[in-house]
Amino acid sequence: MEILQRLYENIADCLSYDSGQPMLFSSGTFWALFLLFVPLYSLLKRNFWQMVVFVVAFGLYFYYKSSGAFVALLIITSLFDWTLSRLMVRLRSKAARRWCVALSLTASLGILGYFKYANFFLWNISAMVNGNFQPLELILPVGISFYTFQSISYIIDVYKGKVEPVRTWLEYAFFLSFFPALVAGPIVRCDYFVPQIRENRHASRNEIYYGFWLIILGVIKKAVIADYIAQYNDLIFDAPGTYSGFETMMGIIGYTMQIYCDFSGYSDMAIGLALIMGFRLSKNFDFPYKARNLSDFWRRWHISLSTWLRDYVYIPLGGNRKGTARTYVNNFVTMLVGGLWHGAAWKFVFWGAMHGAGLAVHKAASPYLSRVGTGRAGRWFAWLLTMSVVAALWVFFRADSWSDACVLLSRAVSDFSLSYALPFASARTLWLIMMAVIIIAHALPTSFWDRAGQWFVASPWIVKLILFLVVAQLVIELRGEDVTPFIYFQF
Amino acid sequence: MKNYLPFWLIIFVSFVIIFALSAFDGISIGSYKPKSSGMYDNLTRQRSISDDMPDEEKAISDSTAVAQQPVPVDTASKVILFIGDSMLDGLSPRLAAYAEQNGHTLYTVIWYSSTSERWGKSDKLASYIKRIKPGYIFLCLGANELSVKDIIAKRDAYVKKIISDIGDIPYVWIGPPNWKEDTGINRLIATNAATGCYFKSDGMTFERGKDGAHPTRSSAAEWMDSVARWMPLHCSHPIKMELPESDFGRPARVYVHQPDEN
Repeated sequence: MEILQRLYENIADCLSYDSGQPMLFSSGTFWALFLLFVPLYSLLKRNFWQMVVFVVAFGLYFYYKSSGAFVALLIITSLFDWTLSRLMVRLRSKAARRWCVALSLTASLGILGYFKYANFFLWNISAMVNGNFQPLELILPVGISFYTFQSISYIIDVYKGKVEPVRTWLEYAFFLSFFPALVAGPIVRCDYFVPQIRENRHASRNEIYYGFWLIILGVIKKAVIADYIAQYNDLIFDAPGTYSGFETMMGIIGYTMQIYCDFSGYSDMAIGLALIMGFRLSKNFDFPYKARNLSDFWRRWHISLSTWLRDYVYIPLGGNRKGTARTYVNNFVTMLVGGLWHGAAWKFVFWGAMHGAGLAVHKAASPYLSRVGTGRAGRWFAWLLTMSVVAALWVFFRADSWSDACVLLSRAVSDFSLSYALPFASARTLWLIMMAVIIIAHALPTSFWDRAGQWFVASPWIVKLILFLVVAQLVIELRGEDVTPFIYFQF
Repeated sequence: MKNYLPFWLIIFVSFVIIFALSAFDGISIGSYKPKSSGMYDNLTRQRSISDDMPDEEKAISDSTAVAQQPVPVDTASKVILFIGDSMLDGLSPRLAAYAEQNGHTLYTVIWYSSTSERWGKSDKLASYIKRIKPGYIFLCLGANELSVKDIIAKRDAYVKKIISDIGDIPYVWIGPPNWKEDTGINRLIATNAATGCYFKSDGMTFERGKDGAHPTRSSAAEWMDSVARWMPLHCSHPIKMELPESDFGRPARVYVHQPDEN
């Protein structure tokens, strides 16, 4: 009886909200729940409304596990925006419809602004007037930036008549709380996703296995590679200036790969889980470090955010329709918004501004670049330049402060010596192996990964089982005692 | 449903195997012993401390019994050997700053993911002692053993072996910076360590790194500062540990061992 009591208490512990333990797709708790979810989902799929209620309930529970009582905020947001969207189609007056949009945007951006930017705003005001700033005790609800952007795009699309308002709140709640994409994207668009809910398509066995393949790839990227290489990278970023230039350079390159593996690994898992459920989410990463210029980089990196910013910031600002100078300004402003979306700190503003400036420079120089850089050497140079800019700007993104970022970059350049390479290789062998694996994997052609996916789908069940077990054991072998949260959870 | 069945069976069987591996610690495949997921321990752990374990408070009060009678500080310069797990990444640069300030020479040996069992089974400690001939030893071990069940039965011999390898050399064992309740590693070290040789870190507040376990560099420095403040009052053999002017230093040499080494 005592063991049963203990089991009950510990399971209850695992299932209740713990602020330090968000439910990650790579955690045992998630997989235990997913084991229960799959058979129930497949049974309830026969009845549309039962399936919708079940998935919404699971999504809300998933959010509760990650954000506790803030699940109420998600419910209120979905109720509010859905009600306004239904109201909008009944209103004949354009002005009244505009008021609905304004009300929705004010509420969405107000909530986001309060939780995410209030302290930043107050801190800056306080600094300007030499005040004694006491930060508000605010907790940022996990994934608020993602679902707020989904909600904004929905309201604007309904206003513009691009999409029909969702018929029922349950369907809208399904769209907003769809758990694979809920806490860290990809940012799902209503016109693409809601028809899939209504279609209620059954996933084929091949789709289920391809989704499984994506999950395995995502787990390798996030829980094996990103979490392992982060241990070294954190040392470098936590104590800038105390390591040699070579070590610092390795830390910077390491973080460049870490953030890619972390975020694209999460996206792979999310897309894979959705596919297993019979839903298609659009691609979020397309080998971004193969880009040879910043415009190309942003077509490949966090595609769902880039396209959102293009459609709801850049184009409304005028896009490229109002002359060259205005195009550059629009690019710059869009990237500033993108930077600020990532976090309430000047370092993110600077990161966004530099990317915006880089995009403008690339656009301005494009006519000349096409004359210079068509050969192999030119392409390599373009790639190296792009990667250097991207990696250097990631330093500002990751470092604790502006001065730390400057120290790190200056150390990496001014103190760089290859004499550290051998001792480094002997001390950080596994780290280097991990880096080599992800760099080679990233460099392989897309067709290779397509074929690998097809091979996995067609492979016997025992191969799938062994591969999954090997990856799960690798995660266990390499993990720290606690799981590292996804970097993009904080946004 | 039939489309989902094979997939569901694969994840179900995987789950059962991983759970079974966590329930039976002794399973090995050839020379490879899979690391436990901790799933079984997490589900069956006791939420309160059991009475059949050694009395931690008594043990700790024994090992800090000199608190009321501070021992004079040994002001001689020492060759210090600092061994332990990945926690040394944070502690060592600060201890190096203390060493530079106080005329000591520091050698650091980091064995990533190491445990008392791995140190106890290997001859690494004896070998480093023979090679470096330290006059003082710091250890920081135990962080990778917070969840080990039946810890006393499993690790007592190894903790004793480590202390026996240290022999007569004065030492301080810095306990793990718990980020969750342990299953008895702190009690075990406290019971075995000589009086005034165990610094209990459990209960301290740390700013943690992204992994939620390792203190950040600045927090680890404060942790080392706490050890340095504790030494003149409670340690059975305090050495000169005046507050350094620089934040961090570099050890004379750092030896690194990977998790898979024996």
